[in-house]
Order: sequence, then structure tokens, then C-alpha cells
Amino acid sequence: MNNNIMSVIFASDNETKLNELTIHRTTASLPFCGRYRFIDFTLSNLVNSGITTVGILTKNNYSSLMDHIRMGRDWDLNRKNNGIAVFPPYVSNTARSIYKGKIEGLYGIIDYLDNAKEEYIIITNSNIAANIDYDDVYDMHIKNGADITMLTYTAKTNTTRKVVVSSKTRGRVDELLISDTPSDKECEIGANIYLFKKDLLRKLVEDAYTRGSIDFEQNIIQANASTLKIYAYPLTGYVAIIDDIKSYYNESMKLLDTKERDDLFFKNGKIFTKVKDSVPTVYRDKAEVKNSLIADGCDINGKVENSILFRGVIVEEGASIKDSIVMENGKVLKNACLSYVISDKNVTVKEDRQISGYATYPVVIVKNKEV
Amino acid sequence: MYSNRKECVAMLLAGGQGTRLGCLTRDMAKPAVPFGGKYRIIDFPLSNCINSGIDTIGVLTQYQPFDLNQYIGNGQPWDLDRLSGGVFVLPPYMRAKSGEWYKGTANAIYQNIAFIDRFSPEYVLVLSGDHIYKMDYADMLKYHKEKNADCTIAVIDVPYEEASRFGIMNTNKDDSVYEFEEKPKTPKSTNASMGIYIFTWAKLRKYLIEDEHDKNSQNDFGKNIIPNMLGDGQKLFAYRFSGYWKDVGTISSLWEANMDILDEDSGINLRDPSWKIYARNSAIPPHNIGKNALVRHSLVTEGCNIDGKVAHSVISSSVKIGKGAVVENSTVMPGAVIGDNAVVKYSIIGQNAKIGSGAVVGGDLDSPKKGEWEITVVGPDAVVEDNGKVEINAMIEGGKKDE
Repeated sequence: MNNNIMSVIFASDNETKLNELTIHRTTASLPFCGRYRFIDFTLSNLVNSGITTVGILTKNNYSSLMDHIRMGRDWDLNRKNNGIAVFPPYVSNTARSIYKGKIEGLYGIIDYLDNAKEEYIIITNSNIAANIDYDDVYDMHIKNGADITMLTYTAKTNTTRKVVVSSKTRGRVDELLISDTPSDKECEIGANIYLFKKDLLRKLVEDAYTRGSIDFEQNIIQANASTLKIYAYPLTGYVAIIDDIKSYYNESMKLLDTKERDDLFFKNGKIFTKVKDSVPTVYRDKAEVKNSLIADGCDINGKVENSILFRGVIVEEGASIKDSIVMENGKVLKNACLSYVISDKNVTVKEDRQISGYATYPVVIVKNKEV
Repeated sequence: MYSNRKECVAMLLAGGQGTRLGCLTRDMAKPAVPFGGKYRIIDFPLSNCINSGIDTIGVLTQYQPFDLNQYIGNGQPWDLDRLSGGVFVLPPYMRAKSGEWYKGTANAIYQNIAFIDRFSPEYVLVLSGDHIYKMDYADMLKYHKEKNADCTIAVIDVPYEEASRFGIMNTNKDDSVYEFEEKPKTPKSTNASMGIYIFTWAKLRKYLIEDEHDKNSQNDFGKNIIPNMLGDGQKLFAYRFSGYWKDVGTISSLWEANMDILDEDSGINLRDPSWKIYARNSAIPPHNIGKNALVRHSLVTEGCNIDGKVAHSVISSSVKIGKGAVVENSTVMPGAVIGDNAVVKYSIIGQNAKIGSGAVVGGDLDSPKKGEWEITVVGPDAVVEDNGKVEINAMIEGGKKDE
């Protein structure tokens, strides 16, 4: 348990290419694994490590996030002391535009950082699903005598901008590249989660801001790679960083494996989410479900295979859902067929409709649409 | 101006041992017994209260209270964490000169007169913690006021042949009660008391005190308070309820109520968004149906891993059912594990019980009789060995926790 760390979460992320899935919401409130939103993982990890001062910076479309978080009660963050502070988009500069990058964002809430009593700070994006023990991250930070500890994971690069690190000695990062070229070689990639001493972060942000810098990774992390002691903390087990439809789909489907699921949901602590009081799922006489994850509140009378159903999904008789993800309150009516589809909240697929994508290109049906 | 005053306070009798539920209530009070996949029995009266606009509830506990206390907590799952009012767990306590266990249902309320007085209510709603039903108490309270009654008792019409198992309210044309008969051999009517009472508090207070001074009294609502009020000519009215209502005080009825949820015509609809039943939620991922599973005509809750065949059953949260296992006509409580190739039929499997691989629990019933099902019970934390056998209608207990 640690009460000397605070956290700032960036709810929107410019880097993601989630297109249709983030038209109506921030990355933080993107639904995941049947009943969660991405921010649940970040919030739960923090709370499980005793970190209860949490600021959330939003940028656009944040109403779904506010609706999800409310006062933070579902994460036990409705506290007298500390708890959640949500910062709506604000105009902080003379150009009268909303903050551009993390540097401007942090600069705008510098009073909040100053007023918090914690000495350390975790900066994190919210497109990550993993079960992280921040107590251990902190212990390593202290043991290494690090200025910055950056969490990393092992993966191949894709077209999304990534920080690739390499270290020769015990996790000390000595080379730091920013790459957006896809590669087949696995490498250590920054998860966009950093632990700093708050004073150091404040100084770096102020310096960068006065110079007009925008890019946190380039102007703060990379620029100081040789002067500051940056250590990598490699995350192991299930780590999902979602930056496009393909990674969203693949990382979701991995969770059909019970081992991966146990790793994500139980390794260091439980993952909490907004409680919806749905009823248990009902399976009717024509139900045929195999290798799937099904949330509460569904009503199933059709075929479901290799798929994930969120809360309150209705699958009528004769309908078939294969290799697909159907989000909250989706309705798949009689004899409709879905394969390799991601259907957003409240989508209705009418009788006899057939929709298929392909494993490498799942079709997305936008929120509230009727097919 | 801030005031602690409440029009109606609910008192929920949750202290009974529930001996007829055998090992299911050995280590927990009856209202804490899991029900319907993700609920506990007490979720029904608590949710009914909050849905009816009653936000001040005293829960009277006495027998094995830990599970129940922890479950209720600060009342947050039912929106009962209030600045004024909320949910209060009320165990018996010592006073300056005396102190004793709750002797009966009426005595339990008597011992908490001071609690009720704090809210200066006009009415008190008395509820039991062992019934499954959805009811709008606000409508019953409106009726109580319209009739200008001293006590209103909710009644349900039961089949004549079953009437002798209930407390029967015999009524005049205007539904005023002229007689109460506890389990009559030859019932005069079929208005069964549902164990739900609204009293005008000033009246009930007086009768509770008088009853306490009566050394021969059993301090029971049905046996003493109601007959005494009738004898004095107080105004008692029957409030007719039509809808699903079931006393789940026996193994057979508890099993049957679970099966009723699977039956769309039974009248208990948990999916109605206008009258939600709330429950404390555990943070667990969606359930997983494996490659070898076949699940039909069943309810399955979050956190389960199912790779066997499940038919006409209610599966609670975090249950594991192995490959090749068969579960039919059963209710499996949270955290239970059913091994590969095990067969479970017409059974109740308690919380965290373990059924070994290839074990056989219960079986198909030869001549099932409604209301008297021969249900096999594997108690909470009990273990059935691999390839073991539990006979139909048997009850297996788990190891003792508190001894």
C-alpha cells in the first residue's frame, strides 16, 4: 500500500486509430471484455496499490466517461480526502484553444499537482488493460535510484507511434527511439505509463511548456534520456495496448483463454467497474454457446461461438454469432448472422441480415445503428 | 429544516435460524442464503423497500449474523447509504438492568422501540427475511391510510388444499379481518398471511408493551399481537396481493423458487427494469462457456467457467463446471466446483462446495410431487470425493468453521 503517490490519467489519446469506436467516447470509456471500460483497469490498479489521488484529464466526448465514473464510488474513490478529480477540456493558453498534448495538459493542472500532498506521481494513458502492481513499480523505482521509471511491454511495432527502448544494464534505458514503422521483430515498447518524483515532473513540464514543446514522449522523455536515469519496468503476462481496431479485436479475443483472463482479472488485485445490477444471463432452449465470454443480463436463444457478449445482449432463435464482439444491449434478431463483427452499444441487427468481416479486418457497426 | 422524521420505518425480521434449511443455514442466517444466481434472499425485501420509497430499515439479526452483516454493509448496493435513515443492523443488546435474546418476532420489535422512536414514524412496516416476491409497499401503505386501519396484513390467495399450511385471515366483505387462524385444519378462507404487516406505530407500540408484560405470551406477531388486537376490536384489514410470492423456508421450496425463475409463466420476473432487485456485486469478469459446453434453459452468472452440460439449472457466480459434467434441475451456489464427468441432478449445491470428478449427486425423481421435492443437498464447503455418490434426498454437511 502506498499513500505517497498520486496519478494523472489522460482519458483521450491522440495516437489511437479507433475510428468508429471512439466517435462517441474517449478511449478511457471504450468498452472491453463484456462489462468493463478501459479506465476500469487503470483505476483498479491504482486503487489496489493504495493510490487514491487521481486526476483525469479529458479532451472531448467525455460525457460517457463522466457517466461511467460518477463520483468514483465503484472504485472506492468517493473519499473525503483525495479521490477522483475530473478535468473537463479547458482553454489554458493565449491562443484560446484546448490543450494540445500532455505537456500543456499537465501545465494546466499544475495547481492541482502542487496542492496534492503526495511526493510521487504516475502519468498514464487509458488505452491499456493489464493487472499492474504499482507497489512493485515504486519499490523498483527506489531500488534503482531512478529519476523516471517507464513501464514497458514486449510486442511488435505497428503504424501507431511507439517509444521503443533498449537497455544494456539492468533495465537502465540507454536508447530510446520513437517509431511508427511496423516491424515483425519483438521489442520493448513503452506503455505510456511513467513514475516520477512530482517535483521533477513539474520542473520538466514547466521547462518544456515555456519552450513551446508539445510532445511529451519526444520533448520530455527522449530529450532527457542521456541526462536522467530512466529505468524500464517490463510488464509481464497479459498486456493489451489498444491503438487500432485490429488490436482491439485481437486483444479481446485473447481473453477467451482462461489463463489470460485469470492474469488480467486476478493477478494482483480485482478489477472494478460500474455496477449495473443486471440479472444473470438466461439460456433458452435453442441456445448453443461455445468458447465464449458472456456478461450478465443477456438473453440467448441462438448460436454463439468464439465471441464476447456484453451486458444485456439479446440473441434470438436461429441467429448466429461467430468470432464477434457484441457490445451492451445489442440485439441480434431471428436468423441474423454475424461473423468477425464488432458491434457497438445498442446496435440492432434485424431478421435474416448477414454481416461478415474478416479475421484481419473485423467490421465495425457504429453505436445505436440498425442494420 | 433538517428532521430525522420518517413517515414509515421498515423492520425486517432476519434473526430466525431457519432450521428447516438444514446445513444451508448452519453457518449463516436464512436471509443471507444465496438465491437466483446473484442474489441473497434479503435482496428482495431490501429492494422492495427502496423501490417503494422506504429508506429507513432496521434489520433484526440474532442467529449467525456475520455473513448478513458483511453483506448489508453500509447499504450502498440498495442505495441505502443515507445521511438520514438508511439500513441499520440491530442485534439484541444489554441494557442497564437487563438484556436478553430476541424471544419472538414481537419481542424483537419491542426491544427496538427506542430505535423506531428516533424516527417518530406514523407507520411501521414489519417484514420477514425469507420470502421471494416483488411488492410495492407504498401501495399497501396507501391502502392502510385509506382504510384508516390500525394494522394491515398482506394476504395472498392460496389453493384451498394448501391453506392449512398458512396463517389464514378470515375477512368481512370490506376486507376487514374478523378472525385469524394459524394453520387451521379446516380453513374458512384461502387468504394466507404473507408475513407483511403495516401498523400504525402508536397502536403497535402500546400492544408490544402490553404483550411484554404478559408472562404467558410467546411474543409472536401471529400468535399474540394480531389476536390481541382483534380481540380488542382494533381495525385490521387484509391487503390483497396478487403476484408471485414464495416462502423459501424449506429445501423443497427454496429449490422450487430457484426453478420458478427459469419458468417465464411463474410470475417472478427479475428482468423488469422498473422494479430491479439489487444485490451486492463482486468484481468478477463475464462467465466463460467452454468448447465442450452445452447450456440450455438455465441462468448463468458472472465469473463462471462452464465446460459441461447444464440444463434447467440456476448457476451462481464463480462456479466451475468441468468437462463432461452434467448439471440438471439444480441450483449451484457461488464458488462451487463440479468436477469433470460428475453428474448433479435435482440438487442444491452450497457455496464453495466441491463435487469430485465422476461423482454422482442426486438423481432423477421417480414420482415428483409439487411442494415436496426430494432434493439432494451438498452443504456449503462440503466435499464429495471423486467418484463418490450422494443419494437422492440426502444432505451432506461441510466441515465446521466455528468449532
